[in-house]
Amino acid sequence: MGHHRAAEIPSGAGVSGRGSRIFGRRSTLSAWVDRHFGVLLVLPAVVLIVLLSAYPLVYSLWVDVVNYDFQIPGHDFVGWQNFKDVVVDPVAATALVNTVVLSSAVVAVELVLGLLLAVAMVRPFRGRGIVMPIVIMPLFMSPAIVGQFWGLLLQRPFGPTDYVLSQLLGRPVTISWLTEAPWNYIAVVLADAWQWTPFMFVILLAGFTSISHELYEAGQLDGASPWHTFYKISLPLVAPILLLAVAFRLLDAVKLFDIIYIMTGGGPGTTTYTAAFYLYEKGFQEFHLSQATAGSWIFLILTIPVISVLVRRLLRPETA
Amino acid sequence: MSGGSGWDEREFHTGLSEDVDAWLRGETSRRTFLTRLAQLIGGAAVAGPAAAMGSADRASAAGPAKVELAPPDTPLGKAQAAAVAASTQGPTDGSAYRAVQAAKKLKGATLNVTYESGLQALEPKNYSGPQWQALTGIPQNVIELPHPDQYSKPIAEHIANSGAYDILDIEPAWIPSLANGGVIQPIDEFVARYMNPADLDDYHPLYKFLPTYKGKRWGVFDDGDELCLYYRKDVIGDPKLQQAYKAKYGQALRVPQSWDEYSQVAQFITDQLAPNVYGTANFRKAGSPGNQFAFVQEFRANGGVFFDPQTMKAQLHSPAGLKTFEQMMAQNKASVPGNNDLDAVAQWVAWLQGKVAMIYSWPPTGRMSENYSQRSKSINFVPKSEIAGKVGYAPMPGGHGEMASGYVKSLAAGSKNAEAAYLFMQWVTSPPVSLARVMLPYTLRDPYRLSHFKSPLYRSLWPAAVEYLVTLNNSSNEAVLDMIMPGWQDYALSIDRMCTAVWAGQDPKAALQRAAGEWDAVTQKLGVEKQRDAYQQFMKLPGAYPDHTIATMGLGVKLT
Repeated sequence: MGHHRAAEIPSGAGVSGRGSRIFGRRSTLSAWVDRHFGVLLVLPAVVLIVLLSAYPLVYSLWVDVVNYDFQIPGHDFVGWQNFKDVVVDPVAATALVNTVVLSSAVVAVELVLGLLLAVAMVRPFRGRGIVMPIVIMPLFMSPAIVGQFWGLLLQRPFGPTDYVLSQLLGRPVTISWLTEAPWNYIAVVLADAWQWTPFMFVILLAGFTSISHELYEAGQLDGASPWHTFYKISLPLVAPILLLAVAFRLLDAVKLFDIIYIMTGGGPGTTTYTAAFYLYEKGFQEFHLSQATAGSWIFLILTIPVISVLVRRLLRPETA
Repeated sequence: MSGGSGWDEREFHTGLSEDVDAWLRGETSRRTFLTRLAQLIGGAAVAGPAAAMGSADRASAAGPAKVELAPPDTPLGKAQAAAVAASTQGPTDGSAYRAVQAAKKLKGATLNVTYESGLQALEPKNYSGPQWQALTGIPQNVIELPHPDQYSKPIAEHIANSGAYDILDIEPAWIPSLANGGVIQPIDEFVARYMNPADLDDYHPLYKFLPTYKGKRWGVFDDGDELCLYYRKDVIGDPKLQQAYKAKYGQALRVPQSWDEYSQVAQFITDQLAPNVYGTANFRKAGSPGNQFAFVQEFRANGGVFFDPQTMKAQLHSPAGLKTFEQMMAQNKASVPGNNDLDAVAQWVAWLQGKVAMIYSWPPTGRMSENYSQRSKSINFVPKSEIAGKVGYAPMPGGHGEMASGYVKSLAAGSKNAEAAYLFMQWVTSPPVSLARVMLPYTLRDPYRLSHFKSPLYRSLWPAAVEYLVTLNNSSNEAVLDMIMPGWQDYALSIDRMCTAVWAGQDPKAALQRAAGEWDAVTQKLGVEKQRDAYQQFMKLPGAYPDHTIATMGLGVKLT
């Protein structure tokens, strides 16, 4: 260690006065570095966090209480007005309800389908190596492409869906999948479930395969039916990982945006506005940045209880 | 291999653990560590700008792109040759020549130009961009943006003070917001220095006024987006249908003159000919943005006014609003199945396949109908026209078609190449160059200069091109404009949401009331006083309302 060696050389012992001063300064610097080495190591990460998280967060608090609007010069203090604007905006209320309904619906559908797929694929069968990648493929696609893909499939009058259904049912099918309730909701759930069911499937499959075979063998010896085996052995053991999958998906689903943006544009009217879409419209189309920021805070505060419950449930097995 | 691999692995682990142990013991020089960290950060700091520089210089480094030119003996080839001649030989007082000569002295700049993504952007990529570079040595990056982002991205970049763009392709209706927000800069000084004033008079009077706001010029107009009625002459003129219509309604089947007549004729044709041919098709999909244009057009034809000019309270929930919805819903009923899902392209597809007897849309409809556009591979996303030679052109029912959107090229306030950018704007919209551009088969830029409407070259593109150009000119005389005032984006969004809600079954009265409430909230937010002033200014524009058009102001242009 250079600085240790420098510290060991006595001042003036065969070293000029200038050299001694340099060594002295180096020695002091080294000692300071030594003392604060831990802090120095952590510093870049702290600076990064402050710059990327804390600063925007504090800045957003300021934006909440001023009029930060592209079309209005200056940033006058307006107090709680931006929050009031969001609270009284019926579109915001619609967006919130839609977010709750759609995110619950997509996660429920994905959970059920993912669970069924995982149960079906947990045991090896001929062709599993081919089926598995096909099932997982949608997971790797951009949500915007998924939206475009399903939009083209469902669009009237040129999309093939109504035609195929007409052929199958033997009577004309004229469903406006993207512009009529409830079909527009079904279309959104369908597209989202198509993309994210594989996520549930992969995680649950990993959970099922990690269960020891001995437990199943013991169940078989005790004469347990397949349903009992699933209900009494598989499900309890996979429950923590299932909860994790639901938590991850729910956290993502409440931000549902891309598919809505591409498939319905939030319409007809505002019937498929989600919170993310509403905030995007307010912030980046109308440039009412203060209102959008206030909306983001409200949305965050409303989301916190759900997240807290899920996180607590997730942590419980570890702390028990 | 495996034995060797095992030895390597042991060696590696030994080395690694020694390093790690030394690190943990604090024997490795911390100064060395910090020095290397600093080197790493320094390297990244150097690499970032270097990469950015590479990106900025990409256009010039790649060399000039090839100019796509039509065969010289075709009308388009002749127009393109004339554009080059005007740019290089003169007349020396022409705007194209002046722009090129001045721009040559600014070689070294690279222009960042926004354009609507897709088909719109092909024109600067294939023709005007490479041609400008060949003439001046100034390359350009064409930045493709979806239409709504042509408004939002420049604002975001302006807020970030990035200077990312030089030239912005924007709707005239966005000018007040972008000018007030400091996103664009006036070009009056450049116009005075470089432009031939006669070229301003070559604009159709409707378009001449559009880039002006608060007494300043905020860009150059570049796209005549006048909505017109396109109809099937073979269907409307069919003797059997004529007879049946006369028997049913006691009047002649003709090109509709009013919105009520339009719905009636459309429904009659659907009743008679569906599923082979339907009366009409409309682009009503959310965000397409047919709803906003259709509504404000018909609303004013029905006598509607947007605001009370004193209180600035929205006047959407009025008898005119209800009447407009009545008519639009009647049109929807008479339209092709899936009407409410159609965007502009889907509407064109239905029309070109011969499934529809009448549509109103933007001017490319006329060129596509005659298969002029489809000669370009770029436009193969629409089918070949099965109705070529059967299409007639007419002003909109009610007589006052919407100048729906249009484009203005504006100078970005943050441009570091303002002069070079302006000179490109002047050159590309000059009479000879703009003529060549609006004649490109795949272009979505439509005639807007009197010299375009009168051009013998354009008029020779297909047999009925004269009728087409005269109709566009005459419609421009009577046109109504989008609401050019601050907040138009917000107001337009409300209209779109209102319309799609009604198409989905909401009560029109409730939808109108809700939209009016949203308009009031926007007005309140932007300031009632300021919006009142802006509305007063808008009402002075020719085309603000049907009783205040280019024609009623005595400025109409008569062409034959």
